[in-house]
Amino acid sequence: MAIRTDTLREISRARTSRRIVLDRWASRLVILGGVIIIASILAILFVIVGEVWPLFRKPTATPAGTYAVPDATLASGPAVGDAVGVDEYREIAFAVTQAGTVSFVSLKGAAVPGPVLLPALNGGKVTVAAVSSKGPLLLGTSDGRVIPLEMKFDVTFTEGGRTIIPNPVFGDVSSFDPEKKRAVRRLALAAPPSGGVIVAQVGPRDLVVQTVVEKKALIGGTRRQEALQALTIEGGQITALALDGRGEDLFVGTSRGQVIQYDIRERDALKPIDAVAVTASAAVPVTALGFLIGDRTLVVGDQAGGVSTWQVIPPPGGGPRRLTRVYQFQGHPKPVIALAASKRDKGFATADGAGDVKVHYGTSGETLITLRADSGKPLHSLVLAPKGDALLVADQTGGLLQWTLDNPHPEVTLRTVFGKIWYEGYSEPAYVWQSTGGTDDFEAKLSLTPLIYGTLKGTFYAMIFAVPMALLAAIYVSEFMHARVKGYVKPVVEIMAALPSVVLGFLAGLWLAPIVERIVPGIFVMPLVMTASILLTLLGWRLLPIAIRGRFKAGTEALVLVPVVIAAAWLAFWLGGLLETVLLGGNYRGWLLSALGLTYDQRNSLVVGIAMGFAVIPIIFTIAEDSLANVPQHLRAGSLALGANRWQTAIRIVLPTASPGIFSAVMIGFGRAVGETMIVLMATGNTPVMDWSIFNGFRALSANIAVELPEAPEGGTLFRVLFLAALLLFGLTFLVNTLAELVRLRLRQKYRYL
Amino acid sequence: MKKLFRSGEPFIWLTGGALASSLIIVVGLVTLILTSGLGFFWPANVLRMTLRDGTVVTGFVVERERVPGKTGDYRIKVQVANRDLYGADFQWMDEATIARRDYPKNVVVIERTEWGLLIGTIREVRESGRTVAVGPQQGLAELERRLPDAARARREIRRIEKSEVGAINYAQEKIRLGLQRLALGGVTSGPAVESLRREMAILQTRYQEQEARLADLRGRQTASVVVTADGGKDKDLPLIQLLHIDAPNAMSLPGKGVRYLARVWEFVSDDPRESNTEGGVFPAIFGTVMMVMIMSIMVTPLGVLAAFYLREYAKQGTFVSTVRIAVNNLAGVPSIVFGVFGVGFFIYVLGGSIDRLFFAETLPTPTYGTGGILWASLTLALLTIPVVIVATEEGLAAIPRGTREASLALGATKLETTLRVVLPAVMPSILTGLILAMARAAGEVAPLMLTGVVKLAPALPLDGYWPFIHLDRKFMHLGFHIYDVGFQSPNVDAARPMVFVTTMLLLLIVVLLNLFAIATRNRLRRKYATSAV
Repeated sequence: MAIRTDTLREISRARTSRRIVLDRWASRLVILGGVIIIASILAILFVIVGEVWPLFRKPTATPAGTYAVPDATLASGPAVGDAVGVDEYREIAFAVTQAGTVSFVSLKGAAVPGPVLLPALNGGKVTVAAVSSKGPLLLGTSDGRVIPLEMKFDVTFTEGGRTIIPNPVFGDVSSFDPEKKRAVRRLALAAPPSGGVIVAQVGPRDLVVQTVVEKKALIGGTRRQEALQALTIEGGQITALALDGRGEDLFVGTSRGQVIQYDIRERDALKPIDAVAVTASAAVPVTALGFLIGDRTLVVGDQAGGVSTWQVIPPPGGGPRRLTRVYQFQGHPKPVIALAASKRDKGFATADGAGDVKVHYGTSGETLITLRADSGKPLHSLVLAPKGDALLVADQTGGLLQWTLDNPHPEVTLRTVFGKIWYEGYSEPAYVWQSTGGTDDFEAKLSLTPLIYGTLKGTFYAMIFAVPMALLAAIYVSEFMHARVKGYVKPVVEIMAALPSVVLGFLAGLWLAPIVERIVPGIFVMPLVMTASILLTLLGWRLLPIAIRGRFKAGTEALVLVPVVIAAAWLAFWLGGLLETVLLGGNYRGWLLSALGLTYDQRNSLVVGIAMGFAVIPIIFTIAEDSLANVPQHLRAGSLALGANRWQTAIRIVLPTASPGIFSAVMIGFGRAVGETMIVLMATGNTPVMDWSIFNGFRALSANIAVELPEAPEGGTLFRVLFLAALLLFGLTFLVNTLAELVRLRLRQKYRYL
Repeated sequence: MKKLFRSGEPFIWLTGGALASSLIIVVGLVTLILTSGLGFFWPANVLRMTLRDGTVVTGFVVERERVPGKTGDYRIKVQVANRDLYGADFQWMDEATIARRDYPKNVVVIERTEWGLLIGTIREVRESGRTVAVGPQQGLAELERRLPDAARARREIRRIEKSEVGAINYAQEKIRLGLQRLALGGVTSGPAVESLRREMAILQTRYQEQEARLADLRGRQTASVVVTADGGKDKDLPLIQLLHIDAPNAMSLPGKGVRYLARVWEFVSDDPRESNTEGGVFPAIFGTVMMVMIMSIMVTPLGVLAAFYLREYAKQGTFVSTVRIAVNNLAGVPSIVFGVFGVGFFIYVLGGSIDRLFFAETLPTPTYGTGGILWASLTLALLTIPVVIVATEEGLAAIPRGTREASLALGATKLETTLRVVLPAVMPSILTGLILAMARAAGEVAPLMLTGVVKLAPALPLDGYWPFIHLDRKFMHLGFHIYDVGFQSPNVDAARPMVFVTTMLLLLIVVLLNLFAIATRNRLRRKYATSAV
């Protein structure tokens, strides 16, 4: 017997301990699972921040090596100007030396061919090299000739890597000085399809302009016509040249700190149209001129080390276009001797002779990186790699330095995203969102301000409509409505909350917008008409004999009002139409335009306000009604017992007590309106304009994400900026909701003591 | 008067007015959607109008409105259809210009595979260019005789195109990927490659056989019907393109009722045609349902686990209440933000890694590294998990403490109490939460636009090819269908009824789910109200 009990106990103990072990493991599992799930929910924030973070990382530059141009020492280094270049993969750099060779430098250890001698140099020297946005590298010689050089890199992909073979192709040599005496000092070229222009400086004040016109003859292909004209500059010596890629304007920098603009569209009548002082004083000569990609922004470097960008734009008030300063960048301590524009974006680099190199960004007006070249010899030229991922400088004796740049999102700073930015072609700084354009040199305009503005505008109009409606309805339902009717009203409101926003958006965009367009005046008189009719109904109601009134229980007023409201709406539309004919000349849109200067878009903020307001009403209603209903009953009873009527009780006792809950209801409604996507996407025109007119559309942050994210390449600037927009939405709603939640919790604690 | 205002009665009536307006708008909207949606399927009569200048316009009256700028004059919008003949589907007519209206019995309305509806009268029926029947009556009879045959042929062609040619394409794609995989492993020749290439060649010949069959089938269908439209224009329509022919003006009421039901069925069971503006929405229904189901499978266990942790296992304190606030707030975070997260994390991080690990042979074409039904479902699961957590927690809080304590006092462990006592009691709450989550997910569109919904998916995410469920595929969705057809379609006017119908369907699904949830919750409340006594 004893043994059996023991065994039983043993078994029972074993079972119990297994149960306990199982229980313990289950607890651990649940805790682990719960923590993981909650952590992963919160990870949303981190993922989004992680995508946004690289936007604001400081750009960096890392020295990648120093090299020497072979043969350069023999012939005292590379030529002046843009005599250095590099291939797309940054494997091979080249330099044109003064002695007239094209020398190659291996940057990553690959084999490079020996120097190539320029053809037909005949003992001359290369004095200057110049690049343009399109077209070849131009080399000027000491005997007044110009040699175009197109530097090709033939890339072949083989197993295990690629081979790059440089392939210099020389063009037709043309002479700018028939006497072959004067050296070419500076060069600029433009190669538009209509015919190229080359401008060469051959004397301190003397320019020679070569224009090429290709004429298509009826028989025998095209005929090239070259023409040379001389041009002498008044007012100082020529110190810099720049020509825009369209071949429309020539800019000449002078020793008196001016930039003289020539209109060269008429190739046989070149005329100066403007001279603008671009440096601090006339004593500071211009030392470098160049264009950013797209040839709209002119970069000016001067003797005092100043760097600024300029554009030919009309002044804000209108008037003729003029060269206007856009940004002044961080300057150099010594004269600027070289500048190089990126081929990817609006970035550029400048260098002074003493070895300071700076990387700037044209859109933001910021200097991103400052570097120091410690070769000890004066710098001579500067180039940005084709992919914008490296910077090369050459010194006078042929020493080459390379930095790799880590600068993936130069166009984004806090200022470009939120502040006013002076974009190309604009006459003043502005908030603009325009993320894509047709051309490669398009300047992305990524200001979130118009979108935030749009979001707030839509929210504002929605709240104007929703808050009064929802709160009044909530007060009625919780304070005055008959309990039995309440049981039917609440499910209707819940259905209203459940309406998918795409349904509301569709109705707003395709059904409501055309209707609203017809009855705008009616909508504006509707609140008045509605109030008046309700009050009139009340008066009429009181005139009814008590026998009829008595059949309706208190708290069913809303049901009595249903036909009244419908009739009042009709009346309002009719009155609106009448008002339009009588006061507004039968055409409210014409009146809006002439009297208020407002235009009318069919899909506008009014439509959005109604549709989004409709989406927000049930949310505000439910929470507000809850908090009103949670006000302890004895407060009401006390108030009524002291002789207050039910309206006084509701307004003076219940409403103040529930006010934190009502505040949180409004806040949560606000959060919903801010993040609403489909309604704003479908019921507005989605144009990112900034004005408060109720008759215009807007573009909201949320709709913008929905429209643009599917098209944005992963990891690109636009992609990350859209993540930033999402982060803003997240932050805003999270903040507002937390606030509302805290207020509500406080309220609940307060009631505990009532 | 003053006394009246002091009594507050006017204000009470005003608040009542606000409520009445809201209710009217809700009921009005739902009614609008239902009437527009349900009316779409009704075979309406075709009106023929003879204008004062003698022109005849035949079509459906769609809308009537006041002529802008003129009082007392009305105009009507007529769907004249015949887009290929007139260039536009709709026409506005001033009522003042109409001399006579009638409903001729012999007008037919033809649904066809392209160009939308065709309205006119039958002139003749042809077979290989030879006339076999002339006139509306004879023509219609002849058509009724021939149509079943044409329909059979059309179905056969579609079957071959879809299943047989589709199977061959699928097999070929598999082989191509197999070759690619071998090549990635460094194998570019040898027996494995040879056998794959041989299979490829066999498939190619089979493909050509099927093509020949198709050409033969198409070639045999030579019958056509010539329909005369307004203005004497003739349209020669091959029978194989003719989907359905009606003479609505000659139909009886029961006949129309039957046709109505047939059209409803067609709508829910057919594939869309003509860039989604005609045909059915079956793939969208399927996509919506499947996405919601995958989401439910994900969200239920996770949400319940998290709720149990928060309410039953975690030590109540600042941390847990902070987490609770955070979870509550998550429900208020805009859905588009979840979509952005889905893109940033699910698609590019998770999907990108899966592609690199398991689908290297198809790169750079992404398999999981792009939007798909799995990522869309996961995103929505994340979006709706607060709903489930909150509902479950509420349910847990409502269970009387005594119930748990009784179980523990009888010697049950916590796990046993949880599984046998708490879980059954909280089940209805979980169900409520789940239904609400499903309703929210079914109606949500914005995050899906970023994570894998498309306007026209070439294949369903569920089919007969291994592994049967294709979670990487893009899918169609009713909500997105509304957006796309209503706002992206080239012919919005013609597509509008379709959008209304789709809206009605989506609304029905969402509202029914919600009503179900409300009912469950109410039953639950009643149950606890009695048990608490």
